[in-house]
Amino acid sequence: MRNISVRELWLFAMKDIHILARSHYILDDARTYQILFLACFLCLGIGTRDWTLRPDLIAVVIVSCLLSQWCLSALVEYTKQKNNNIFLTNSTDYLKDSIFSHKVISSLRSALITALGLCLLLRGNNYTTMAVASCLAIASKFLFRFRGKHFFNPANFGIIIALILTNDAWVSPGQWGTDWWYLLLFTGMGGIVLKKVGRWDTSVAFLLTYASLEAIRNFWLGWGWEVWQHQFMSGSLLLFALFMLTDPRSIPNAGISRLIWAVSIAVVTFILQDYFYISIAIFWALFIISPLTIFFDRVWSAPRFTWKRMLVVSG
Amino acid sequence: MKLLRILLSCLLAVTIFIVGIQPAQAFCGFYVAKADTNLYNQASQVIIARDGERTVLTMANDYQGEVKDFALVVPVPVILKEEQVHVGNPQILSRLDSFSAPRLVEYFDSNPCEVRMYESDAVFKSAPQAAFAERQLRRENSLGVTIEEQFTVGEYDILILSAKESNGLETWLIQNGYKIPRGAKELLRPYIRQNMKFFVAKVNLEEYDEGGFERLRPISIAYESPKYMLPIRLGMVNAKKEQDLIVYLLSPNGQTELTNYRTVKVPSDREIPEFVKAEFKDFYTAMFQKSYERENKQVAFLEYAWDMASCDPCSAQPLNQEELKQAGVFWLNSPSRNPRSIRNNVFITRLHVRYTGNKFPEDLRFQATGNRQLFQGRYVIRHPFTGTMNCSAANEYKRSVRDRQEREAQTLASLTGWKIDDIHNKIEFVKFQPTQWWRNLWN
Repeated sequence: MRNISVRELWLFAMKDIHILARSHYILDDARTYQILFLACFLCLGIGTRDWTLRPDLIAVVIVSCLLSQWCLSALVEYTKQKNNNIFLTNSTDYLKDSIFSHKVISSLRSALITALGLCLLLRGNNYTTMAVASCLAIASKFLFRFRGKHFFNPANFGIIIALILTNDAWVSPGQWGTDWWYLLLFTGMGGIVLKKVGRWDTSVAFLLTYASLEAIRNFWLGWGWEVWQHQFMSGSLLLFALFMLTDPRSIPNAGISRLIWAVSIAVVTFILQDYFYISIAIFWALFIISPLTIFFDRVWSAPRFTWKRMLVVSG
Repeated sequence: MKLLRILLSCLLAVTIFIVGIQPAQAFCGFYVAKADTNLYNQASQVIIARDGERTVLTMANDYQGEVKDFALVVPVPVILKEEQVHVGNPQILSRLDSFSAPRLVEYFDSNPCEVRMYESDAVFKSAPQAAFAERQLRRENSLGVTIEEQFTVGEYDILILSAKESNGLETWLIQNGYKIPRGAKELLRPYIRQNMKFFVAKVNLEEYDEGGFERLRPISIAYESPKYMLPIRLGMVNAKKEQDLIVYLLSPNGQTELTNYRTVKVPSDREIPEFVKAEFKDFYTAMFQKSYERENKQVAFLEYAWDMASCDPCSAQPLNQEELKQAGVFWLNSPSRNPRSIRNNVFITRLHVRYTGNKFPEDLRFQATGNRQLFQGRYVIRHPFTGTMNCSAANEYKRSVRDRQEREAQTLASLTGWKIDDIHNKIEFVKFQPTQWWRNLWN
């Protein structure tokens, strides 16, 4: 100890500050919370809700999502760098830089959120189904872009594509049941994330519209409030409204457009659910309305959401 | 240890017998019968075979009152014509039941106990004898009730009614000799507003006498509709107690699940004490009740999910093609409109729903999935070896059996809620000499 110089102490101190700063940075990112909460829901579902999720399929989803994200975002980064420096020829260095660039690594968090969302919602029998859903979910972020912004929610896109393209994919809307403590848990955790990203208005607008429409229908049919209550205590509905609907990167930027967007999704959900008898109407509604984000962003402009001001995350 | 393993595998390699649970057959509460008739509406059984939007719904009757008093009212999504209604063979329900029943697997003798396990209240009560006197096809009366179709199939006289409002339908039913219980009007209204029709069946006594039937045969209806649901609310109109419903869902693809309630598997693959063999009915009933309460009485239980081409172990032989057709399977050997359907394949899902009005506020809504995971309610009894054992491993074996028996007792207590002391008293524990610790030191 006696031999430690002032300089070494200084370096130690700086290292600690750096670690602190980094941990603060991690906690400051709403995605970290979202990853924690979704992972927690997944554990809860497996532990308490009688789900028979196969660990191998979960692994396939996570690996496919992360790999697709890494490859595609490194490719985008590489192309960008190459275009910016057309006179330099050493492309191996670019490739190396792109693959391990902070931007690319950081974007893996978004991919993990998509992967967890798919694990929670999508069910299938085969590896290929899950891998196709995962890869296309991530690819949708790079393929369906308008002015640098993707407009499909990746997990939602993956689910719908898997339902369309494969024989064995399904979503279980009844998997959470209607227990009140899940309601509290989802609302609480959803509230934290929504407060961080400032998108609570979207969830509230969706839930209020959908609840009102169902209330009117129930009243007209002559069903009691217990039916309405039963419909709204569905854990799957809340999870969707609080965690999937509010993806700040793909939904419209301006407040007013988000409200209209959420209301349209609620109306389409209501129609598909009650007049076309589609059991997973909410996912189809989001899928159908998502491309309208382009239109909404043109009409009402607002700065695009970034996970952290200093970062520009691709995807 | 090797010897022990051999002994155990010898034990396991004995005969396998299965005791199927056979719930009493009945239908779930759309009965209309005379008020003074005793109805034994125990467990309802329904078969739904569905591929795409094509559906065959079979309703089983175990109506045990006077045949002339029997009548049935079921909301259906579309108007049904005579050729869409069929009266089937009652055996098909018991075949499906024994094929899919929760099973006891043991390694000695079987106990072919006949089990009646469900009880529930009778529901609609009324007197329909004069109901079919008026023959007024396709004529709307002042009450807004239209007889859309009217025909006789087998021993049943059938009416398909549509109504404009519930007051009118209620009045019509009362005027035509049906005694509708209080509260029925409120329950009829949502079905009328959803543009559903009412399938009303009663027994044609002449046909019934001529046919010499011992009991009422199941009625099957075939229709196409995007609605995949089973109306249960109407059956709750004056039911105070819990009602049991067993639904056999047949699909070409995979499991069928509920979309508006949770589907939970019954506890399965548990080792339970030997004496349960004689009390399997009580065991299953208690275990089901315990699971039902643990899940807060608001879930449907999955009792069986299997490809119908096989079974392991089999509680009954798989159904042959003719029997599958009787159960409503219509897609065998026929070109499908749905390219995803796997031809010549039938996957059965057996759901057991115990419902009350407050915990099941909505009708059951289903969805077919591609889930091909197999599941069965299976309980295992392992009889200890009781012959002469003259080897050094015998004591160790007995000790392991004793431990196993204790584990089985604990499992049974947690599954059924029975008192552990009562369970202990019923178990014949294997006796063994505990090894003294010093023996290992000096021997």
